[in-house]
Amino acid sequence: MFDKVLIVNRGEIAVRIIRACRELGIRTAAVYSEADRDALHVRLADEAFCIGPAAARDSYLNIPNIMATAELLGADAIHPGYGFLAENPHFAEICQDCKITFIGPPPEAIYKMGDKAAARQLMRKSGIPVVPGSLGPIRDEAAAIAAGKNTGYPLVIKAAAGGGGRGMRVVQSANDLRHAFVAASREAAAAFGSGDVYIEKYLEEPRHVEVQILADGRGTVVALGERDCSIQRRHQKLLEESPAVGLSPRLRRALLRAAVRAAEVVGYTNAGTVEFLVEGTNHLYFIEMNTRIQVEHPVTEMVTGIDLIKEQIKIAAGERISLPRDIEYRGHAIECRVNAEDPSRDFLPSPGQITAFVLPGGPGIRVDTHAFAGYTIPAHYDSLLAKVVAWGRDRDEAIMRMQRALREFEIGGVQTTIPLHLQILDNAFFHRGEVYVNFVRRRVDFGRLREV
Amino acid sequence: MTQNQRFDLDELRALIRLAAEADIEELEVEGAHVKVRIKKARAVASAVLATGASPAGHAPADTAHGPAASEQRYTPIIAPMVGTFYRASKPDAQPFVQEGDAVEEGQTVCILEAMKLFNEIPSEVAGRIVSIVAENGAAVEYGQPLFLVDPSPAV
Repeated sequence: MFDKVLIVNRGEIAVRIIRACRELGIRTAAVYSEADRDALHVRLADEAFCIGPAAARDSYLNIPNIMATAELLGADAIHPGYGFLAENPHFAEICQDCKITFIGPPPEAIYKMGDKAAARQLMRKSGIPVVPGSLGPIRDEAAAIAAGKNTGYPLVIKAAAGGGGRGMRVVQSANDLRHAFVAASREAAAAFGSGDVYIEKYLEEPRHVEVQILADGRGTVVALGERDCSIQRRHQKLLEESPAVGLSPRLRRALLRAAVRAAEVVGYTNAGTVEFLVEGTNHLYFIEMNTRIQVEHPVTEMVTGIDLIKEQIKIAAGERISLPRDIEYRGHAIECRVNAEDPSRDFLPSPGQITAFVLPGGPGIRVDTHAFAGYTIPAHYDSLLAKVVAWGRDRDEAIMRMQRALREFEIGGVQTTIPLHLQILDNAFFHRGEVYVNFVRRRVDFGRLREV
Repeated sequence: MTQNQRFDLDELRALIRLAAEADIEELEVEGAHVKVRIKKARAVASAVLATGASPAGHAPADTAHGPAASEQRYTPIIAPMVGTFYRASKPDAQPFVQEGDAVEEGQTVCILEAMKLFNEIPSEVAGRIVSIVAENGAAVEYGQPLFLVDPSPAV
């Protein structure tokens, strides 16, 4: 086992990793930027070292200063948390070269899953369904029409080199394809310097369901159930739960199998998450794999009783996975991300000093946070303030517990996403499990949030 | 750093205030892990802090930005990177600078070693070295004061 782990992150996840190390009897070293001098992770770690000014590129992304700190403090492993350097294959490689264990997958696996287009091809070749569509880039109308016929309508045309919605067109029928292709291609060429596009089936109301996996690099890959993360806004998750409500046992088995296969294909080790879109009751499509621990990992921990961060550390130290083949799932867990944002004003960040901070508690409630009364939220980093996780014997109990916990939670001085969560938890569609990725846009009454 | 290794900043501030008000020139306090020497420079006090075997924490950096330091006219040369502080290019070589030496802007004052790379650190100010704050061979963090420089022109 490791003697000392350097935690290359901040906020609640740095605190979470320190806690896991403590329970394993491992010493902890933290890094921090000048903006985080008074942060909780700095206080809790056995040692802390300032590695740069506030801007992340000069501190939490400053590889030379991070590696120098690891060497000076004698750390034998680095935990990257999520974000920052967690999915940087170059950083994982540098750790390898410096003989410091990177607590995560090998650089090759990060690289293979990091190129989303290549990953899509690789998965398809390995028999894992991806969103149906064209194979390679489409350059002329004839190819577009042929791909349209194969894919079916509605479909979406996307820029091959693109992102951010530019060069993207939703097409309802074959009659509109020609015009949409020309427009999308022209837009893509203007925006990205390449008019190449590809075609994907347009999923109207998919759910986002992901599978937590653990792999020990000795041939054992286990799937630890799924999480439904459909409640999101602009591709940012807000509320996650496990198990996914209303999923048939057959589809669930297929998801877990596909996730294990995806991990095996890239020679994965450590903790990872395979993300899928689920359509209707029968269809699953691979979208991507996150090669790190995720924000919403506590949801899985609550229903499995497994400490994922400790498992990550043990696997990195070369231990075998010692979990039973058939994981026992207990009850239902929901996580609400409490962000320092104003949901009534288009999620405007709300940094500043927290004047009051009274945590909820009682049966079934867990809060992972780095905040405290008097803490000033720096404007330089993400707005996640706390993760409230509620566990219940069933979904109804978990929802009731979450509602009462969020009402107990007192945060003064900054705006938070709590009012939005309360509205979601009160929604009849949510109660019935009718959750799709467009839920927030379709079911949340932002006008009512403004009145509160 | 562990809680018990941390030198309480409020205590430090209180000591500086005490030294500044009292009719003394120097105040030395020694704890289990930290030794603090507060030396009054003319009218104002400046704090000089030597850390023990433990890697340097925030105390030195904070001290430099503390009330006493901000009031005085000495400019710190701070570590622009994480590394091991060396005063000379080789163990048997002369230090780049001594207390009392005049330095020019851009003149190498020390070396910070990180990952087997020896980085020459230039002074960002011209003046006279008043005090060498960091200990030779110590690990220094980003922003930690290494030297105090009196930027006023030599008399």
